[in-house]
Amino acid sequence: MKKWNRRQWMVLLMIFSLFLLILVTGGGLAFSEAAGATDFSRRNLAPCLEYPFGTDFMGRDMFRRTVTGLSVSIRLGLLTAAVSAVIAFILGLGAAGLGKAADTLISGVIDLVMGIPHILLLILISFACGKGFWGVVIGISLTHWTSLARLIRGEVMQLKESNYIKIASRLGHGKIRVAFAHMTPHLLPQFITGLVLLFPHAILHEASITFLGFGLPPEEPAIGVILSESMQYLVMGRWWLALFPGLLLAGVVLLFHFLGQGLLLLLDPEQAHR
Amino acid sequence: MILEAKNISFCYDNGNRQILNQACLKISSGERVGLSAPSGFGKTTFCKILAGYEKPDGGEVLLDNRPLADYGPYCPVQMVWQHPELSVNPRRKMKTVLAEGDRIPERIKRGLGIEKDWENRYPGELSGGELQRFCIARALGERTRFLLADEISTMLDLITQSQIWNFLLEETKKREIGMLVVSHEESLLKQVCTRVEYLERIDGA
Repeated sequence: MKKWNRRQWMVLLMIFSLFLLILVTGGGLAFSEAAGATDFSRRNLAPCLEYPFGTDFMGRDMFRRTVTGLSVSIRLGLLTAAVSAVIAFILGLGAAGLGKAADTLISGVIDLVMGIPHILLLILISFACGKGFWGVVIGISLTHWTSLARLIRGEVMQLKESNYIKIASRLGHGKIRVAFAHMTPHLLPQFITGLVLLFPHAILHEASITFLGFGLPPEEPAIGVILSESMQYLVMGRWWLALFPGLLLAGVVLLFHFLGQGLLLLLDPEQAHR
Repeated sequence: MILEAKNISFCYDNGNRQILNQACLKISSGERVGLSAPSGFGKTTFCKILAGYEKPDGGEVLLDNRPLADYGPYCPVQMVWQHPELSVNPRRKMKTVLAEGDRIPERIKRGLGIEKDWENRYPGELSGGELQRFCIARALGERTRFLLADEISTMLDLITQSQIWNFLLEETKKREIGMLVVSHEESLLKQVCTRVEYLERIDGA
């Protein structure tokens, strides 16, 4: 039997992760009606075959609620990661390419945003924007772009000083041509990997501010809402209300992490032999 | 054609000592001038200024009495760097390196011993000597009139060195390309150059 190399394993793992994530997102969309259905004849059931994650105090099926909550998280994560990655790309390029004044300004803003604890800034922005879905989206988008912007700035500055780019310009190639030919192969993998690795951050922060009560409204079946509700019942021994949603959240974050790591491995020709 | 460095002075931004002080040098087409100096005396810096990578603080570089910048985006004075692995983009295949030059004919690739299947590899998959052949080929485009060779053969074994130098001598003679050969090795300079200059002597300080 042919032995698989690391790249092939990574592709398999990525396909598997992607499949699970799509399954969760699709499942959440399909369950969204049933997730809110209350039935007081089946209150506080422990996990069983019919309700694998148990039911809560209003008789809601926790499995369906959890999957719906995760699918909300994934869609929210997609949106916020995309927005903050675009902000990061534009500001990173601007800092590296628009001269010293722009660099000082943008680096200052990066330091400022990084200096304030994430969660605090997130709560403030989300609260100022009236909480809810858009409050969370704006809050996460405006706080998560900093490290990727710094990465892109550094990469472009390093590239600008590299011999092969100087040689290309002495060979008569224009700035735009050099940027496309020589910089994109370096920046694109950074950008895509950064984008994918932003998802887990965004999802976790969404769950945390919702848990703290500054995010999604309580009637929404979000992971943060589920976890904060379950706090009251943990002491009464209803462990399933927190354990399964928590595990599934960690699982989804891990899947995104695998996707990002896989992309990093596949897009880098220096790792082509693995 | 005549490439002339006229009273070149240069000092790097970090405020270190003056590296070049009123250095002068004239190279005409078909000439191969050797340049020798101890480490850190500014051989590479001098080449960078001649090829237009750096602007001198004082003095000017003239090609047939006109400044280099007059000759359009493709610089007729091309430099081959000492470190081939830094001179090619690690994320692009080797054939793009050749495509960057000014219409490199098949004759040059074969003359330098570049094999066809190397062109489909990434720089990380070739050795330093193999990469250097690509860098030399890239610099020998149609519009190149002067070639500055900054320690281009230090990483090669003797057989490869002689293969590459034989080709370069033949090619530059045929096309009347002027050369500046920078090296520590006196024997190499004596072998390939028409005259040898010492940076300490052409420098005014």
